[in-house]
Amino acid sequence: MFSVFYTEIMKLKNTKLYWLVLLGVLPACLMGSKALFPKISPAGIPLAFDMQDMFYSQGMVVTILGPALFALMIGYIITREYQERTINQLFSYPASRIIFFIAKLLVVFSLIVLTVWLPFVFSIVSTILVKHHLDVSIVWLGMKMNIMICILSFGTIPVAAALSMVGKTIMPNAILGSIVSIFAGISEAGHSMHSILFPWLAPYWPVRNLAQGIAQPGPNPYAAPALIILIFTFVVSLTFCIQYYNRADVHSGS
Amino acid sequence: MDYVLQTYHLTKRYKDKVVVNDLNMTIKTGDIYGFLGQNGAGKTTTLRMLMGLIRPSAGEVELFGAELNGNRNKALERIGAIIEYPGFYLNLNAVDNLEIHRRLMGMGNKECIDEVLTTVGLLDAKHQKVRNYSLGMKQRLGIARALLHHPELLILDEPTNGLDPGGIKEIRQLFLDLTKQRGITFIISSHLLSEVEQVANRIGIIHQGRLLEEIDYETLQKKTRHYLEIKVDDGQRAAYVLEQKLNITDYLVTEPGILRLYEQLDQPEKINLTLTKNDIGVKKIVLSGDSLEDYFLKLTGGE
Ligand SMILES: Nc1ncnc2c1ncn2[C@@H]1O[C@H](COP(=O)(O)OP(=O)(O)O)[C@@H](O)[C@H]1O
Ligand SMILES: [Mg+2]
Repeated sequence: MFSVFYTEIMKLKNTKLYWLVLLGVLPACLMGSKALFPKISPAGIPLAFDMQDMFYSQGMVVTILGPALFALMIGYIITREYQERTINQLFSYPASRIIFFIAKLLVVFSLIVLTVWLPFVFSIVSTILVKHHLDVSIVWLGMKMNIMICILSFGTIPVAAALSMVGKTIMPNAILGSIVSIFAGISEAGHSMHSILFPWLAPYWPVRNLAQGIAQPGPNPYAAPALIILIFTFVVSLTFCIQYYNRADVHSGS
Repeated sequence: MDYVLQTYHLTKRYKDKVVVNDLNMTIKTGDIYGFLGQNGAGKTTTLRMLMGLIRPSAGEVELFGAELNGNRNKALERIGAIIEYPGFYLNLNAVDNLEIHRRLMGMGNKECIDEVLTTVGLLDAKHQKVRNYSLGMKQRLGIARALLHHPELLILDEPTNGLDPGGIKEIRQLFLDLTKQRGITFIISSHLLSEVEQVANRIGIIHQGRLLEEIDYETLQKKTRHYLEIKVDDGQRAAYVLEQKLNITDYLVTEPGILRLYEQLDQPEKINLTLTKNDIGVKKIVLSGDSLEDYFLKLTGGE
């Protein structure tokens, strides 16, 4: 299994995939670093630096851009095997096709972690550099948020995977991803609580939780049903993918 | 006799179109099996079924004495293949592409990569991205990849596509060497008889999904008749002389002045002398044959 994962990583050498990661990381760092500048309240009183605000901005950016970026990542990783006509060879190895599928999912999970955690690390480092002070309890809050974002973002990856293996081109993923990202942007701008019921917006739940005091207070009442919907989406689409990948006739996209 | 591969009533249907129809192939250890058929005959579809890439609608594949179904992984460790097109990760160079293969086949030693690249003559291009490879180079790299894990059976789908004549000759020699030195069995598909006949010792002819014939190359050669073609200034008189003086009755007049003799093929001097003595001008005598190509065309009805 490890060697399959390793070869999946090798395949990404010199690809534009890492630009997708940067496309998420850079805006998140940028939005987050706004918090480092001196701020003044509407009443004209200078406000103290708030690291929580920093994590919140980052979380917003990542959960808005994430659906599009992550759908493109899994889309590329799956459809390129058809586009570059390597699928015949891939499925001629003495290993189950499911192993290859799981390895691809793990690669995307790693990329999600990279996209989410680089801004987090950036915040910590820049805070230390600029403010010479770090509130560990808030770092801990940010860490929990980012762990949750990674896990919840992964929940919809099998849906995007299913689209790519059926479509064999990246277009469906690009369309799905951008629509969802636009929708996420609109919902998050309105600090909507119930939007997390939509599986692609589930990662917004921990982000919004962090915003206690910034936006409305109190736990999100939709958390439990949102989780159930997400898990259901994950299980159903994953099952479909495994069935489809395993059974499909292979024609190298010809 | 040891069979590397046998198929039993192998059939593939797409909707109501039968693409491969009740195929019974037999391939023995050490064979270079030429799998011959026009474009669309069903070659690639058959090869895909051999590799377990698609499921047969009916019938079975037996590889190395065991049914493919249930023993697929074991069989695949012993096979190298190019199916339809030598696909590679275009962003990677040759070495990285082969490294992926090496790891997935569980080969311990990295030196095998340079070895196979040398074998196919790509050592100098090994650090070039495959994106910049020509189709011929990709074919070579595909053969290198298929060879890397020391397979016993090589399944190559139209491996000379995209190669120039010089390259075709080299690759052909490589196949012959590999069979001789390592006892590798080959299945080589092609739509060109001329490519198969120079390497294959057995030939399977597929047409519209059916295996029309499976035949030793030697038997095939015997089946194709040879003849003496004679060009003279007066065909009618020549025929008369041949019948009267030399007792030749098995002949054909193909065009005015051109005769094909199917007997006394070893007597061109005598025939020449006899005709000349009877004042018939002989412009040409050559031994030729109903080429395999003609035979193939006749069989597949593509006159
Ligand atoms: N997935 C498919 N669906 C329907 N028809 C197919 C499919 N794949 C191949 N065919 C048809 O099967 C026939 C044989 O194709 P193929 O095996 O590729 O031939 P060859 O390799 O001998 O040129 C062709 O007529 C082709 O159109
Ligand atoms: Mg073909």
